[in-house]
Amino acid sequence: MTATEYALRTDGLGKRYRKVWALRDCSLAVPAGRVTALVGPNGAGKSTFLRLVVGLLAPTTGSVEVLGQSPATNTPQVLSRIGFLAQDHPLYKHFTVAELLRLGCSCNLRFDQGLAERRLARLEIPLDRKAGALSGGQQAQVALALALAKRPDLLVLDEPMASLDPVARLEFLQALMGAVAADGMTVLFSSHVVPELERVCDHLIVLNHSRVTLAGDIDTLVGEHRLLVGPRTTTDVDKAGTVVEATHSERHTTLLVRDGGLPAAPGWQASPVGLEDLVLAYLRWPARQDVEPTTMAEVPA
Amino acid sequence: MTWLTWRQHRAEVYALGLLVAVIGAFLLAVGLQMHSLFPGGAGQCLGADLSETCSTAIRRLNEEHGYASKMLNLFSLVPFLIGAFFGAPLVARELEAGTWQFALTQSVPRMRWLAVKLGALGLATALLTGVFSALITWYRQPIDVLDGRFGADAFDLEGLVPAGHGLFAFAAATAAGAVLRRSLPALAVALGAFLAVRVFVMGWLRPNYQEPHRLVELVAADDPADPGNPRMSTGSHLDWTISTGYVDSSGRPLSLYDSVMMYSAAEKQGVKFSAYLHERGVQQWIEYQPAERFWTFQLVETAIFTGLAAALLALVVWRFKRRVF
Repeated sequence: MTATEYALRTDGLGKRYRKVWALRDCSLAVPAGRVTALVGPNGAGKSTFLRLVVGLLAPTTGSVEVLGQSPATNTPQVLSRIGFLAQDHPLYKHFTVAELLRLGCSCNLRFDQGLAERRLARLEIPLDRKAGALSGGQQAQVALALALAKRPDLLVLDEPMASLDPVARLEFLQALMGAVAADGMTVLFSSHVVPELERVCDHLIVLNHSRVTLAGDIDTLVGEHRLLVGPRTTTDVDKAGTVVEATHSERHTTLLVRDGGLPAAPGWQASPVGLEDLVLAYLRWPARQDVEPTTMAEVPA
Repeated sequence: MTWLTWRQHRAEVYALGLLVAVIGAFLLAVGLQMHSLFPGGAGQCLGADLSETCSTAIRRLNEEHGYASKMLNLFSLVPFLIGAFFGAPLVARELEAGTWQFALTQSVPRMRWLAVKLGALGLATALLTGVFSALITWYRQPIDVLDGRFGADAFDLEGLVPAGHGLFAFAAATAAGAVLRRSLPALAVALGAFLAVRVFVMGWLRPNYQEPHRLVELVAADDPADPGNPRMSTGSHLDWTISTGYVDSSGRPLSLYDSVMMYSAAEKQGVKFSAYLHERGVQQWIEYQPAERFWTFQLVETAIFTGLAAALLALVVWRFKRRVF
């Protein structure tokens, strides 16, 4: 694959705020056309990562490349290819929706006002209403309409659904997925809610404690991992280094391993792992490893 | 981008424009009345022997318009209001509301966004303070003729200096907003900085923009001297007196204590204080800035404040370049 076929590539990317690292040593690549979920607990560095991607922040270390160019060049051409919807979808609250559209028109190269108007008409959002007078869900939809009307090649959304009620979440997700299906753009969005990912994403990045702990296409990742259940083991011989997580009940030990499907040892039963369990294991992973390394069990495979 | 700047800041333009308009209307009302005291112009009422009409006019000026000086001293905060209310929200409001993330991810490069905002609002500050200064200059015209333009109630409010003050307040509020990320604290910090710099410039720098002229002469027997002040004339009542004092015949400066001792000695002897000084060869001196230096001083002070403003705006530009937000 050539560089431009990656929508996003980072190399050793890191960001430090005074003495605290918000993101460290992040190297990954997202192919063009993917819908990528960036998952991590609050404070894991998701917003920092996304702001680095869209060029709002400058990296402390390493580099970012978006659609083959550094967002630091900050030219109208580069900016027009990236759409960004920040957390809590900030808008000028005292602008009417029509004024926000006019803003989009006057500040963008290829703003598709008709597209935004049709989208808002379908959602029955009045153009003469001030943004601050709309409901949270409607504000999110207006912000999404503005970002989509830029006709970006990469759309970045920071916790787009965090502040929405369940109905608004669903509507927002439908709107987003409809647009992706129509335009084929690359989407990168952050979330700390796991269940809704499976339906919409095909690529995953897990961020925890300022580091990337898992990244790749979801099908591949799910295929590489499996659950092994066997008799309770307390010895620690993770020789192959493939155990992601071990949980122990009274009689059994359950291991989540990333071994690409080698034959299981006698007495152990293998089963595929669901995306949600996989993500949760990686969200817990580094902390557990730091706190109690001795509970790691021997890999029986 | 131009439309966006106007749409975002038109409320400030309206409010501050209204402020200047109200001040203008008030000054026009009281100013016309004041100007009518001197139908032939205040210039005819200079010198020692005043005509009957002139002394009436000056008496009425003092009685009916004596508040002018206090009012004008209060007005010296107007350039701050104009500049700071444009500057404080410029960056800080975007950071407070999170809208900077929206504004800087449209297709306008961040440095261009900043340049348009700083340029447009800086220009608005300069224009409004310029109008304000023109209004004050017109209003004060008779007082300027009678009292000169170097007093704090004239120099700070006429000519170019208000624009300099306004631009400094604009830059201070913008920079404070970019650092503190909050509009209201930015406004407070800008006010503190504005007052501190104004006091420093007014008290320490302004008297020395150019080497003051110095006159030294023997105290004449009938001079109107008093122990604290020689009451010496520079030849023009429009000049700005910086300081005065006495030196004895050997050239040693007399302290206030010395001159008070001499004053009581003169009283004991029953001679006039000035005659007593004259007898002992005491000289009086005065340091002053001639009235014709007004525009030079205006240019220097405007340059100082716009220079400070440029330095503060450079800080904002630097923060934007580094992409710290």
